[in-house]
Amino acid sequence: MVAPMGTVMMTVELEPGAADLPHAAERLGVDLQVLDAEFGLVPIDPDQHLYTVLAEEEAVAGADARPGVSGPFSDPPIRPFGPPER
Amino acid sequence: MRVLIQLRSSHQVRAALAANEPVPAAATAAEALMSAGLVLDQSFEPVELPSPRLDAEDDGRVLAMAAPLDFSEPATTVVRGVIPDDEGAQAVLAAAGANPAVLGVFADPVVERCLTCIGDPPVGTHKDVARLLGVGKLTSAGLTGQGVHLAIVDSGINVAHLRDRDQAAKLDAAKSWTPRGVSSGPGRHMVDHGTMCAFDAGIAAPKATFLDHAVLLSQQGGPTPMAGLLSDAVRSYAKLRTVLDAMPASRRALVVSNSWGMFDPAWDFPVGHPGNYSNNPRHPFNVIVASLEAAGADILFAAGNCGRDCEDGRCNFRRRPICGANSHGRVLSVAGIDTKRKRVGYSSQGPGRLAAAKPDLATYTHFKGSEVYAPDPDGGTSAACPVLAGVVAAVRTKYRANRLPPASLRSLLCKTADDLGRMGFDHDHGWGTVDTTALLAALARVPVARGGGSRRRPS
Repeated sequence: MVAPMGTVMMTVELEPGAADLPHAAERLGVDLQVLDAEFGLVPIDPDQHLYTVLAEEEAVAGADARPGVSGPFSDPPIRPFGPPER
Repeated sequence: MRVLIQLRSSHQVRAALAANEPVPAAATAAEALMSAGLVLDQSFEPVELPSPRLDAEDDGRVLAMAAPLDFSEPATTVVRGVIPDDEGAQAVLAAAGANPAVLGVFADPVVERCLTCIGDPPVGTHKDVARLLGVGKLTSAGLTGQGVHLAIVDSGINVAHLRDRDQAAKLDAAKSWTPRGVSSGPGRHMVDHGTMCAFDAGIAAPKATFLDHAVLLSQQGGPTPMAGLLSDAVRSYAKLRTVLDAMPASRRALVVSNSWGMFDPAWDFPVGHPGNYSNNPRHPFNVIVASLEAAGADILFAAGNCGRDCEDGRCNFRRRPICGANSHGRVLSVAGIDTKRKRVGYSSQGPGRLAAAKPDLATYTHFKGSEVYAPDPDGGTSAACPVLAGVVAAVRTKYRANRLPPASLRSLLCKTADDLGRMGFDHDHGWGTVDTTALLAALARVPVARGGGSRRRPS
């Protein structure tokens, strides 16, 4: 299965004070320009210091082997549940 | 009353049926009953049925359903007719009992499709929904949504349309969110699905303040006009977290209504893949849902429109369509019923994929309300979800998250629900539908904040 548009989410754990996109790229072991700057670094669980970024799937292949990194996660299309269609 | 009469067949009947010709009454034993009062329905073409076979091992009391159907002798014929309703019926039944050619007389009740389905006209109006929800009781208790933020995570809200439909429709643009590249702003989006959801949320929470999170207007989601990506929802939820964190703990009240989801497992990594969304609580969106709820937000998701009776044509899940955040254990998954309190046939059934006991509750849909899609109804579990979100927002008027955490409120709603379907929880309706009287009685036992302290609210 190929994620839509080749884009995936990656989750990174970052220390307080180092929660920015450059540190996320460093944690992932990729160049900063690989990450979607417009999407940015989005906190998903601030209490656990967990953030997510968007990247091309190929560019982050194998990054999940690094500490504090998990992914790639799918970024599927979402649709409204109405009005229902036949 | 209308009846079906099963008769021993005859060569004449079988020959007529084989030739696709009308079967004369004289060819059936029905003629013997006509003098007793039976009026034969000549428009009903007799139907040939196999004879019932009896199982010798159970004294002939149980039909051997596993036996092959046998249309050879002695096959039977079923005809239709009308017999008198009162004493006259006894005469026909007596004649039938005395005639060895008559195998039985059976009721032929009116049958109709039980479930509201896609394409059916509206069942009731939003005023019926308000009555069924007990909005008057909520209002009398001061539960109107005043001071409560109610986020509609959808395709955007058009406030002017809501006000034309007599709703107050307060909106906080600064706390709203619009995806990149969208030219319209909060409260000014095209009249569509999100406006319908806002209207339906406003039924029970007329004084809530809407936050317009137009995730489904994302330009990233593909060729259909209303589509986004799950990463858009992640951005929206991160914004909602900042909104929630900015509220003093004693005033936290954020309700998040989501009438959307994923229709096709092919859009996702396969189940078992570590990056899968549908079944994976570690997916970033499922993580942010859990963390927002833990911070005090009430989150509701539509169960979906993949019900087995008449599913949405876009559904591609062969089983367990309630998936991902729609099945999250920290949200209310909302099924749909019509204003006759019957499940709509397209409402998705559990079990859920993240939490099995889904949906949680059922509320009203398929009614004339926002008129966004007039003459079609406010439909889908898309409408049911914000209807319940409105009730939750109304409750939050006085019962803030620090006193009644989201998990406790979910539990209260389920425990006080009016049971529908099978006794107790079931995968069609969850625990049932909101019982406002029981809910208010239970809320009376919850401590509420007054002047910085708390006490038990008088019942």
